[in-house]
Amino acid sequence: MGGLRDRSPVHGLVRRRLGPADVVAQSIAGSAPSAAMAATPVIVAGTAGPYTVWAFVAATVLAVLVAASIGRFTTRMAAPGGLYTLTAQGLGSAAAFAGGIAGVAGYLLLCGAALAGAALYLGALLAPFGAGGSWFPAGAALVGGVLVTALVVRGVRLAARVVLLVEAVAVAVLVGVFVLLLAGGPLAGAPAPASPSPGAGGLVAGVLPALAAFIGFEVATSLGAEARRPFRSVPRAVLATAGITGVLYVFAAGVQVNGFAGVPGGLAAQPQPVQVLATARGWWWIPPVLDAALVLSFLACAVATATALSRVLFSLARDGAVPAALGRTHRRFRTPHVAAVAGVPAATAAVVVPVLAGVPTGAVLVALLAGATIGFLITYVLVCLAAPLFLRRIGELTPAAVLTAVVAVPALLAALAGFVVTVPTTGIVLLAALLAAAAWFAVLRRPGGLRDLGVYDETVASDVWDRAA
Amino acid sequence: MTGPGGPPISGRQPRAVRTALAVLEEVVAAGPGVTAKEISAALRLPPATTYRVLNLLVGDEYLVRLPDLRGFALGRRAARLSPVAVPRPSTAARAVVEHLRGMVRWGVHLAVFDGGRLHLADPDPDHPPSDPDLLARLPQASALGRLLLAEQADWRALVRDLRPVTGATLTDPDELAELLPAVARDGLAAQTGGLRPDRGCLAAAVRSPADRRLVAGLALSGPAGRITDPDPDLVALLRDHADRLGPLLG
Repeated sequence: MGGLRDRSPVHGLVRRRLGPADVVAQSIAGSAPSAAMAATPVIVAGTAGPYTVWAFVAATVLAVLVAASIGRFTTRMAAPGGLYTLTAQGLGSAAAFAGGIAGVAGYLLLCGAALAGAALYLGALLAPFGAGGSWFPAGAALVGGVLVTALVVRGVRLAARVVLLVEAVAVAVLVGVFVLLLAGGPLAGAPAPASPSPGAGGLVAGVLPALAAFIGFEVATSLGAEARRPFRSVPRAVLATAGITGVLYVFAAGVQVNGFAGVPGGLAAQPQPVQVLATARGWWWIPPVLDAALVLSFLACAVATATALSRVLFSLARDGAVPAALGRTHRRFRTPHVAAVAGVPAATAAVVVPVLAGVPTGAVLVALLAGATIGFLITYVLVCLAAPLFLRRIGELTPAAVLTAVVAVPALLAALAGFVVTVPTTGIVLLAALLAAAAWFAVLRRPGGLRDLGVYDETVASDVWDRAA
Repeated sequence: MTGPGGPPISGRQPRAVRTALAVLEEVVAAGPGVTAKEISAALRLPPATTYRVLNLLVGDEYLVRLPDLRGFALGRRAARLSPVAVPRPSTAARAVVEHLRGMVRWGVHLAVFDGGRLHLADPDPDHPPSDPDLLARLPQASALGRLLLAEQADWRALVRDLRPVTGATLTDPDELAELLPAVARDGLAAQTGGLRPDRGCLAAAVRSPADRRLVAGLALSGPAGRITDPDPDLVALLRDHADRLGPLLG
């Protein structure tokens, strides 16, 4: 049995420490379900019309398929680099590098979007007290960025606990609000005239924004090295997150569609559906409570994605693909502090600079989210494609794994193409980044200085019976 | 396996249990590096069943995947499935322990660590220690057990039972986590009142001279009050005897 090392190539992190609740909380926070419950159904209704709820069901099925593909790897290996490390095992280093760059872009932009969202809803919450202009959201995002950096550097356990607590409060508030709204029944009004049905095309177009509500649900993958019993807790966390958030979204969409069933134009005609539903019943206190919950949810999302961002950068550095300094870990806190201090401020700057330049915070949030979605879809396509190839390589291929890829890969590619067509700017930026990544990889590869990509927390001598001390 | 609060185990899947044990047995028989395909062929099991059982056993860390991700080997946790009878220490080793007993008025116990378990190899006949099974079950409660835990990459795997024995027994895993680095650094552990209210013990690590592996622990047990602030000469004496035991036990 050759090739057993004495220490893991990703040494320096707190190995095998986080409990299952901490791991699943990261993933749930990463997809920021509270914000998506409040904001996404309207967007989906804009294209899917009567098929809004079905669009969310379809997106949930797709997310579960992606989670299953990720699970093929995470039951077998623990990797702080997240999806790109998994891709490397099935598709090789070039695809993995493209996935790594897409993953960094996805987490960086999603972290920025979360900070923008927190600043936006904090502004809405404090508007009666005179918060406004561009200095307030910029300042709030800056403070948020500093806070998130400090938490991620200070230690994975503290960050995970904060995320668990904050996200639990946010989701509980949102579910409570939606149960109240559901109990209230539809808004009074004449039965809506049958609007022209958008047909199956509308359903397909509606799946795109619904799918965007899930991004970030795979964050737990990057905690592989740090989770206790990672081969069990990480795949479960990712799959559970896809399922739980899917149920939450279908529920939220159902409540909102039902609430506006009697209003001309339905849900799609409402810019702020939850606020309108609440105000119509005289529940003036719901909007501020909702805003506060959304601030919390976005902050938890920022911490979870910043944690993942620092792990992916750390892993790329240990692979030798980015400067080695990013692969250093803090001796006492055992976190990739250099990667965190490099990554999170970049995400913060992506919010603060455009906001100070006069772009509305909401527009910054939407643009960052769109960019992040492209990055995530690229990593999902690659990992779904890599799963059956990886299983064949290690001699454990099953028909189910092939079937998952056959269904998921074309659907995700279609979603990717759909997004790039809908928001061409971000698509072009990210595709350009990918091409650059592939070219850079070819250049880096030539001098023979780069090993194959994909370091993970492999079994070391002390894990094996009779090799252990 | 279910955690606290999970559904109770029904025990109504005898075939699954048998398959899991057969897979474990096959990994042992075939040796490290055996692949899932080979196990499936040898046991005439459907491949999908084999993969599922293997992934379950890897998830629970009874098996590990080797770095090529194809081959399997027994994990450290599996070592606990095969406890071995610990042989009586050699006459020379027992003479060292006896020598220390002649020099101090404390109880002197020798414990050997094997497969992540604590075995009392030479308990002091004049100062009987706590129940050996209790010591083995609650390594966090005794000074000897803490030596063993401090040496582990993941001590949580060995601590399953955090019940109190006396009011002073350590039951908080975070407190234990804070305490173990110092034990590993100094090769010395102490405990007061955790097993018996009026007694405490002080244990020094015995390491193999060849590879500095922890092989045993030598403990002094006495009045709780004197453990909290031990006499430096006594500690030096204990360490000296522990060092002398290294070549005899390692």
